[in-house]
Amino acid sequence: MQTAGGVDRRLPGELGIWMFVAGDLLVFSLFFFVIAQTEREHAEVFSRSRAMLDLWIGVANTLLLLVGSWFVATAVELCRQQRGAYAQRYFLYAILTGVAFVANKAMEWGARIADGITPMTNDFFMLFFVFTGIHLFHVLLGLCVLILIRRASVRPQVGPHEIRLIESGATFWHLIDLLWIVLFALFYLV
Amino acid sequence: MDGSDALMRKSLVFCGYCGFAAVVFFIIGGVFLGGMLPPLLRADEPPAEFVRKINENLMAIRVGSVFLMVSFALFGPFGAGIAAQTRRAERLPVFSFVQLIFTACGTMIALLVSFAWALMAFRPDVYDASLVQFLADFAYFLAVFSVPCFGGWCVMIALPILLAPEGTAPFPRWIAYINLWAAVLFAPGQLVLFFKSGPFSWHGLVALWLPFVAFFLWILIMSAAVITASRKPDPLAR
Repeated sequence: MQTAGGVDRRLPGELGIWMFVAGDLLVFSLFFFVIAQTEREHAEVFSRSRAMLDLWIGVANTLLLLVGSWFVATAVELCRQQRGAYAQRYFLYAILTGVAFVANKAMEWGARIADGITPMTNDFFMLFFVFTGIHLFHVLLGLCVLILIRRASVRPQVGPHEIRLIESGATFWHLIDLLWIVLFALFYLV
Repeated sequence: MDGSDALMRKSLVFCGYCGFAAVVFFIIGGVFLGGMLPPLLRADEPPAEFVRKINENLMAIRVGSVFLMVSFALFGPFGAGIAAQTRRAERLPVFSFVQLIFTACGTMIALLVSFAWALMAFRPDVYDASLVQFLADFAYFLAVFSVPCFGGWCVMIALPILLAPEGTAPFPRWIAYINLWAAVLFAPGQLVLFFKSGPFSWHGLVALWLPFVAFFLWILIMSAAVITASRKPDPLAR
């Protein structure tokens, strides 16, 4: 729906994806609470363990997801303008940032495990591996979704159904981005 | 409305109410009596502690197990109702058949939970304490480690909704997303294999509470969806 000011007031995607987003945020809020509560009980273990993480790997992953989200947002806008050929290029860039995130995460985990650090090491690393693992599962799902919406963007006619699918998929990708930012702050910064 | 339509509607409503009844029986058997949720036992306790707690609550666990058995048996008609509604929107019954397979597997797994729970309280003083502990482990593993079965069931409900052409989906589209969300919430259950204490153990917040609460909320939502869908005309006739 276009208002007089030309601003699109329509809910992007569909109601269901926003229910999914709200639900996932609720669950991750529970995860964040678990992290905060465990940190309160084991403050010293947390600060010692946090120092063993490579902050710049976390920063790189944050930037990768932020840039990826920008690519996705641009691609969605291009799809709305019926410029699918350009949009699929931006979706591809977003997929590449997602793949780079996965590779970076694999290298980070590999380096920690090579140092003898596993989820069994202490409470911090238990939460770190499990919650970043659950987030990684979301990223892998998100990459499948991006591949799906990239295919939808190159259909000869990008109609309202395709736009709904593309916007819903993009919303999920932005959710992944948002969740990571909080996880990054809790594990690497706080 | 002809006779077959009326029967179809009553059948779907019956299946929907079976879902509600399953939740009520679980609350009585698993929450108030059986000590399954909140967990009476802890994965990090020694076997002798299991035996002591079970002996202290012997009759409540036994009666609770009977209610649990009834609750889990009701998953059958509940799942069949969802499959039947999915079938109404299909020309070829593919997803509805797959759903029935998942329903049968899920019902069997759930029934084994109550078998293990009941056996645990059958003669805890005669069994070796570690065997009593094993039965509790087995019950919780069946309940929360079985993610691909219950999560897969949800995905098989979501796919025919999302893939259906406009206006011919068996359920509203938001139901598909609820099912996908439920599948994601069941996933942390797989962590119970790796941890015996903390939030990821079988008595923990993330690996037990989250999948259990999500599962029974999912049953309530799907039961209501089946009952609502029973009042609507055949999706393919719209």
